[in-house]
Amino acid sequence: MSIRMILALALALVAAVASAAEPSLTPQQQEGKRLYNHICVYCHSPGVWGTNRLSKRMDKEHAVLENRTDLSAGAIQTIVRTGIGSMPPLRKSELSDADVAAIAAYLTRQNR
Amino acid sequence: MAQAAVRPPGVSEADFKAALKAFADVVGPDWVLISELDRNTYLDAFAPGDADSHAPAAAVVPQSAQEVQAIVKIANKYRIPLWPVSTGRNLAYGGSAPVLRGSVVLDLKRMNRVLEIDEQLGYALVEPGVSFFDLFDALQKAGGKLWISTPAPGWGSVIGNALEHGLGYTPYGVHADTICGMEVVLPNGDLVRTGMGAAEGSKEWQTFKYGYGPVWDGLFTQSNFGVVTKMGVWLMPQPEAVAYVGVSLPNAGDLPLMVDTLRPLRLNDTINATYTIVNPFRSIVDGYSMQGKSRPDIYQGRDSIPLDVVLKELAVQGKAPWNATFNLFDRDKGLDLRLAAIQEAFDRIPGAKVQTRRWHQGQPIEQWMRVQPGLFALGIVDWYGGPGGHMNFAPVVAPLGERVGELYDSIYKRFVEFGIDYYCGLLNVGARGLLVNAVMFFNRNDADLMRRGRELYKVLAKEFTAKGFGDYRAHISFMDEAADMYTFNGHALRHLNERVKDALDPQGVLAPGKQGIWPRSLRDKKGRA
Repeated sequence: MSIRMILALALALVAAVASAAEPSLTPQQQEGKRLYNHICVYCHSPGVWGTNRLSKRMDKEHAVLENRTDLSAGAIQTIVRTGIGSMPPLRKSELSDADVAAIAAYLTRQNR
Repeated sequence: MAQAAVRPPGVSEADFKAALKAFADVVGPDWVLISELDRNTYLDAFAPGDADSHAPAAAVVPQSAQEVQAIVKIANKYRIPLWPVSTGRNLAYGGSAPVLRGSVVLDLKRMNRVLEIDEQLGYALVEPGVSFFDLFDALQKAGGKLWISTPAPGWGSVIGNALEHGLGYTPYGVHADTICGMEVVLPNGDLVRTGMGAAEGSKEWQTFKYGYGPVWDGLFTQSNFGVVTKMGVWLMPQPEAVAYVGVSLPNAGDLPLMVDTLRPLRLNDTINATYTIVNPFRSIVDGYSMQGKSRPDIYQGRDSIPLDVVLKELAVQGKAPWNATFNLFDRDKGLDLRLAAIQEAFDRIPGAKVQTRRWHQGQPIEQWMRVQPGLFALGIVDWYGGPGGHMNFAPVVAPLGERVGELYDSIYKRFVEFGIDYYCGLLNVGARGLLVNAVMFFNRNDADLMRRGRELYKVLAKEFTAKGFGDYRAHISFMDEAADMYTFNGHALRHLNERVKDALDPQGVLAPGKQGIWPRSLRDKKGRA
């Protein structure tokens, strides 16, 4: 099986998982999850660009943003608007401040 | 990257404030973006140098063609240069940043409706903010009978990519050829529809390109003559089957042979979609980027990575020096015939290899089919370590082996001279055109590497002007240099473009400098004085 096929399957799996309801999520987190899977997932699902870059600095599981437990909402909001490394910033016309807050709420849902 | 206050050149502070207030009256105050944080989101994210040299003064974000009309009229009143962007993801060509520093970005991303999908006739009518992701999703919801042609990164605009002469990898891969009917706001604020759209109530706007009289659609591609607010795009009916073909040739000097073998197969439509010929170095990089590896994993020198290092690494990976990939779209029986002809052509070449795989209707879409948008290609930008970026020099050449080989080798020499790795893909545009897309990667923290890249582009443009070539598309920093390559009869084409510009946009408010077309008021200074 080629790397591309593996990636396609990984994306399909992510999409399948994403579509499953998570009743424990707040409405804002649910919206954040929807946006994450609409926009962020193309670079931050397993095996793709953003995850590969992050995996140079941390273990592979935590390089997937959805699995992190140490992200702060403020950092997420700043990085989305300023970009980081080769990730370009996202403009308000692409994601409103409320959208970014929802994504931050979703990605910080597992924080301890 | 912090910006000092930026203002449109030649516009007083009072007039600029008045214009911003008038924009806000049209779109609402939330959609006139003037804070430093917001303005920075419109800088060129892959700038090959100081992004501030193309900094916008503000952005205004309309939601309808009527709002665009009102904004353009205000821009004329206060002589504000506007820089329209659709999704602003034209990375490597400037992203959402304007040629002229101090322009106001006209951000069309909120105009993101798929207005119509017609599965019977195979088209969609879309607004400029619709990305390839958006259109793919909409087509799937509509029943999945139509497929998109998507470029490598899928976050770009369907309209913007076609207008900039972008390419995909299906039989509909020459995206400008799929345009059928536009709605355009002219630089004076007038609204027109082209082709059959000019007939009030026409149901054939997206089915017949020509209407009556001159065909205007081409004039709104790679230009600054209007703001396209709606566009028809022809879409491919889902085929019964798809085949992937990867061919490889064993010698470092086999590029001309590859070109001459593919040409007749493309010309007689055996190969019925865009092919990509990948140079030896690119074969390594593409594989590496999928694994998260970059240059230091293979080479640490500051010079251009030597060919013998590239060939050794290819041997380790079990790859041949020259590879070409493409997909075929047809019924199963048709694919059998096409594949047999391709196999026969390459069987004549000692050491050539042909690999194939197939897809049939009903099976899940796979990444190799290149009909589903993604962002996989972006992994390569960090080749020199992040934060990365790249720019391209892509002269057009006929697919004749000897000519392509000479052009490829001449560019290679310059890359070596400037100490930059030679990442090159050769993409066919229709049956008779080929782009030698030479990519200059850089690390945005490496000022010397970026300087060499900028100088390399200028040297290449000058050298290949003398040889009769022209670049097909250029970064905002090099649009003048690219336009300069079209020299016939004392740059007669530029003079024609300028006469059209002056007639349609006498105030010069729309995208000054785009494609090297400057309005009269800025022509001598080219916006840089």
